[in-house]
Amino acid sequence: MIPAEASQRRIDSYLAELRRCLGELPPEEVHDILQEIRGHILERAEASGELTEERLVAILKALGRPEDIAPLYQVDSVVAKARVSLSPRLVMRGIHRWSVVSGWGLVLFVLGVAGYATGFALMLAALAKIITPDQVGAWVGGGHFSIGTNSNLGARDILGWWLVPIGLAVGALVVFGTTLLLRWTLRFARIRRPTGTSVAA
Amino acid sequence: MVSRVESDQPDNWERQIKKGWLELAILASLWGEKLYGLEVLRRLEKGTDLVVAEGTVYPILSRLKAEGLVETKWVEGEAGHPRKYYWLTSSGRSRAAAMARYASGFLGSMSQIIAPLLAKEGK
Repeated sequence: MIPAEASQRRIDSYLAELRRCLGELPPEEVHDILQEIRGHILERAEASGELTEERLVAILKALGRPEDIAPLYQVDSVVAKARVSLSPRLVMRGIHRWSVVSGWGLVLFVLGVAGYATGFALMLAALAKIITPDQVGAWVGGGHFSIGTNSNLGARDILGWWLVPIGLAVGALVVFGTTLLLRWTLRFARIRRPTGTSVAA
Repeated sequence: MVSRVESDQPDNWERQIKKGWLELAILASLWGEKLYGLEVLRRLEKGTDLVVAEGTVYPILSRLKAEGLVETKWVEGEAGHPRKYYWLTSSGRSRAAAMARYASGFLGSMSQIIAPLLAKEGK
């Protein structure tokens, strides 16, 4: 049975609202979700025999409000993707999503920023050593140790050219280790909806 | 990090319990068959009153897919619109079986604990 024009409009506006709420998801995922929910509504409508206005309202009400359903997809898919990804960008996106709803997520977000900053800084120092070998190094002097440029005239570069392979290798290891650690912690993420009621995650 | 009961309203408490069990119920409904979303929902409606809002089942299915526990396929059928079918992968089957074992032990010990309350109410 094809729903009458008014019903069709109501279904379309429900799906349009859902699409709006799904916002940041990839387009093909949004398409899939809308197609599945549309199928649900149409099939429920068909099963009800003659589709009245009240019946359609009841179907949509049983489904839930778009603004309540959409976050479940967003949170779930971003975190689920991050759980299996090796990309620092995707993993940090998942952690960021978690940090919005949980103190633990926030702690891990800060930890992630620190870990990635350290790792990338080491690799950057290694590359900078190639470009400006005299100014960049691993400096020891006056009770300080620093990697990068140096303003302390008494400091000594203890690594020399070794900074290049060591910086690259250790930096990459720190980045990779941070990714694995954050990914592992994401399995404990229990994500809640913004409304405050919690959701099994 | 951990979900908690937001208030001591019985309504909210029931909701929390239902949410906790929903994922296992969905995996269980897919145990022997390929089903599309609405069929999963109908199974749950028939056997339980787990589903609070129907729309919550679809995001859970989508997450199970992302976690590699189920596989999906769109099928054009006589319905006039395509249906997305779900079935368990091998890791989905082992996860479901492990969850079921845990749940069964948990239910057993929980029924023992609450048995006196029920007996008292019966008197």
